[in-house]
Amino acid sequence: MKVRRKCKLLVEPPSSATGDIAFNLIVFFLVCASIQPDSGRSQEIPKSEENQEQKEEVENIEVALTGNLNTISLNGDTVRTSELRGRLTQLLKAKTRPQDKIVIVKSKIDTPYHHWIDVTTEIEQSGGQITIQREEQQTIQVQ
Amino acid sequence: MKISRRPLAANVPSMAMGDIAFNLLIFFVILAKATDDSHLQWDPAETTDVTRAGAAKVSIVIDAESKYYLNGQQVGIAQLAPQIEQILGGSTGDDRRVLLKVHRNATANHFEPIIEAVSEAGGTIMHVLEEKRN
Repeated sequence: MKVRRKCKLLVEPPSSATGDIAFNLIVFFLVCASIQPDSGRSQEIPKSEENQEQKEEVENIEVALTGNLNTISLNGDTVRTSELRGRLTQLLKAKTRPQDKIVIVKSKIDTPYHHWIDVTTEIEQSGGQITIQREEQQTIQVQ
Repeated sequence: MKISRRPLAANVPSMAMGDIAFNLLIFFVILAKATDDSHLQWDPAETTDVTRAGAAKVSIVIDAESKYYLNGQQVGIAQLAPQIEQILGGSTGDDRRVLLKVHRNATANHFEPIIEAVSEAGGTIMHVLEEKRN
């Protein structure tokens, strides 16, 4: 009679490697947690021209920003920031040509970036094309 | 009589090969992902509708102290446009993307020249922002 030998192997990781395993797991999850892909918003701003005189008579919309976060100036009128999108959509509705949809954004030097981003988001979502007009510094010599 | 020593074999245990390969993999993943400007201090502005920024050859940071950094190196505003143009070279399409990381409270006199410099260099601006949560 043949007696079969029971060969049951104990398969378990060596206890000396648990430290290494734990370390590798920590590193793995740390890397996963720390690497977050950047997110944001793309924006195309046309190149600036030194000669701002326009060949055609195009009346562009002007938005002026200051350090005041609640109000902005739209074509000279003071408007609440929350009302901007509605007003802009109305103004842009009448304009059909792409060059008419350009919205000139003028910012005072103390305008914070987060406010600028909020306003330009509203302009883009209303269908406007942003262009920046910076305050020019001129040196005038008095004789 | 001289008794010669038995030479000791210095082999890397084959058991550890998996661990070594795994650690190397993680190391290179970190190297590839981590940008040079990760040490800079800036808080992103928030907005709705953000998209994935993706990779870019040029990354500009305006930190909390309103200093300018181009790919992690501090630069002056005058050097910015020519350096961006040089890096972008003859790239086309998405390769002309420039990541703009501006501290949320930076003022227009600091960030507007950057936007102008990027548009002068023919880059496509990608504002790095955080999604607004209500």
